[in-house]
Amino acid sequence: MGGLDGLLQGFQVAFSIEGLLFVFIGVFIGTFIGMMPGLGPISAIAIMIPITYGMEPSTALVMMAGVYYGAVFGGSTSSILLNAPGISGTVATAFDGYPMAQRGEAGKALAIAAVSSFVGGTVSVVLLMLFAPALAQVAVTFGPPEYFALMFMGLTAISSLSEGSTIKALISATLGFMVVTIGIDGQTGTPRFTFNNPNLLEGIDFLVIALGLFALAEVCFLIINRKDTSLTDKANVGSTKLSKEDLKEMRGPMSRQSFLGFLLGVLPGAGATIASFIGYITEKKIAKKPEEFGKGSVRGLSGPETANNAATSGAFVPLLSLGIPGSGTTAVMLGAFLVMGIQPGPLLVQDHPDIFWGIIASMYIGNIILLVLNLPLIPYISKLLKIPRPLLISLVIIFSLIGVYSVSFNVFHLYVLLFFGVVGYLMRLTSFPAAPFILAFILGGMMEQSLRQALTASNGDYSVFVTEPISLTLLIISLLTFVVPMIKRRYSTV
Amino acid sequence: MIKTLHQKVSLILIAIAAGYLYLSYNLKEYPYVPVDSDLVPKVLGYVLLVLAVALFFDKSSETEEEKEKRVVPKKEILVMAAVGGMIFVYIFLFEILGFLITTFVFILACSAFLGYRKWMTSLIVSIVFPGALYYVFNYLLQIRLPQGILPF
Repeated sequence: MGGLDGLLQGFQVAFSIEGLLFVFIGVFIGTFIGMMPGLGPISAIAIMIPITYGMEPSTALVMMAGVYYGAVFGGSTSSILLNAPGISGTVATAFDGYPMAQRGEAGKALAIAAVSSFVGGTVSVVLLMLFAPALAQVAVTFGPPEYFALMFMGLTAISSLSEGSTIKALISATLGFMVVTIGIDGQTGTPRFTFNNPNLLEGIDFLVIALGLFALAEVCFLIINRKDTSLTDKANVGSTKLSKEDLKEMRGPMSRQSFLGFLLGVLPGAGATIASFIGYITEKKIAKKPEEFGKGSVRGLSGPETANNAATSGAFVPLLSLGIPGSGTTAVMLGAFLVMGIQPGPLLVQDHPDIFWGIIASMYIGNIILLVLNLPLIPYISKLLKIPRPLLISLVIIFSLIGVYSVSFNVFHLYVLLFFGVVGYLMRLTSFPAAPFILAFILGGMMEQSLRQALTASNGDYSVFVTEPISLTLLIISLLTFVVPMIKRRYSTV
Repeated sequence: MIKTLHQKVSLILIAIAAGYLYLSYNLKEYPYVPVDSDLVPKVLGYVLLVLAVALFFDKSSETEEEKEKRVVPKKEILVMAAVGGMIFVYIFLFEILGFLITTFVFILACSAFLGYRKWMTSLIVSIVFPGALYYVFNYLLQIRLPQGILPF
């Protein structure tokens, strides 16, 4: 089946009444969760996964795409209205968005963010559509050594590029990898680190990690800020109409940042945060009036917002074509796909074109719904934030617990969830990033498998990783990603 | 001298790495494969050990922002611990009393504890929310949540 047919078929699913309804529900809930300071796309997706059980995969997919886009936009909304970015990807949004909101133009700022996100997201989905199948074709020839090297690169990249200390990020990744070794070893049947506890034989489900390290840990911050009523005062956002001049201002940043953001998103580990900062900086550098930046400039808001959304779609390229997530968010997305019975990877385009194009179509639709339906609803969604915090906290906790119970049917895993909630909170207190942890947890199992497959095929000969040109190149790149910054830092401090 | 937070965390991590390595070296052997199940754990254990030692000697001090993030009033820690305790009790009673009863009590108790005193609203939420969730999971999604002592 050709790409166009597949895409049309994907649109058919997404444009059915049921499909539209679920995208809308997804976008709505995603926006709501994303607007909560602290709760980001990872929590939103993880909380929604249990809801998709029993749904048709195609319907579940479009809903998840909605949740994802909604949560990203919700993050921008809280950046603009409260100067409280829920996730690091929207920090740059607050630079100009918040001053604009303070001038009483919150509605305009939200509209700029929504239009920029829409353009960035859509351009980048088109690029995704062109790139992913091509990359998948290359990846079909990859064997275990290449896969191992690729995943290794993903892990080192996210560790060296994530904000804060590289050592802490690497420690976080190592711990995530360690947790996934718990349970029965798939190849030899040896129980590892189970302490003779039968509950641990199957290992720890990824939902336990995602909900514990993210949703529950983030609840702690909601608890601390439970008396904060700033959100409830911001229910009036004003007009969301944009003037012609605004649109003209936005044209430049949107067209530049869509492409730049996409490219940065494709790179493992770079992602939305770096794209949005680079977007802000480049726009400021080439602007005619850079002094306006930081005081509510249209360009200063449009640039990072476009880049941020372009990068989030760009991150789907390695996920869909290689089956390897390059960021914490796409790692959780991969988990969601697996729950739906979808295995992304080089064979997805060939063997299940309907699903591949369904994902692409749902991303288009998610973007459109976000702009057409969600933006006008923002005043109402921000009224929803009046839900008293104590009630909301209780409900998020219940959702997390039920989510885990519905995959394991075992109370033991609920205690594990609570444990990881505490770990996640402590990690945040001590500034250990949690994203490398979840990425390593998702990649760890696959990495160990391909490492051992490669070594089994070579009869235990380790040179297989360096004699294959592709795997050698990837391994060298991954070493460079954290050796170079370390050397740089040493010389700059001396 | 153990002064900084980094060094304390580093010592905990070294202990974890040591324990993990100890267990890795005691994994059962499986003679018929070129790479046994202990290879990756051993590598991970040593990697963590090296990283933890590096963290111990890491001179880069915390930024002001990071330090500020760490200051949490004692009272709030107690509040969080209490909520954690409630979750613990909830999990303990979850399969014994069933989803509906435990969730009803949890929402009421947790919201009241966190300072929400509009009893009527919280009563309605704590009945409607678990009820709807129970209906959706048990009857629409066919995922059985624990029934407990209630007959439905």
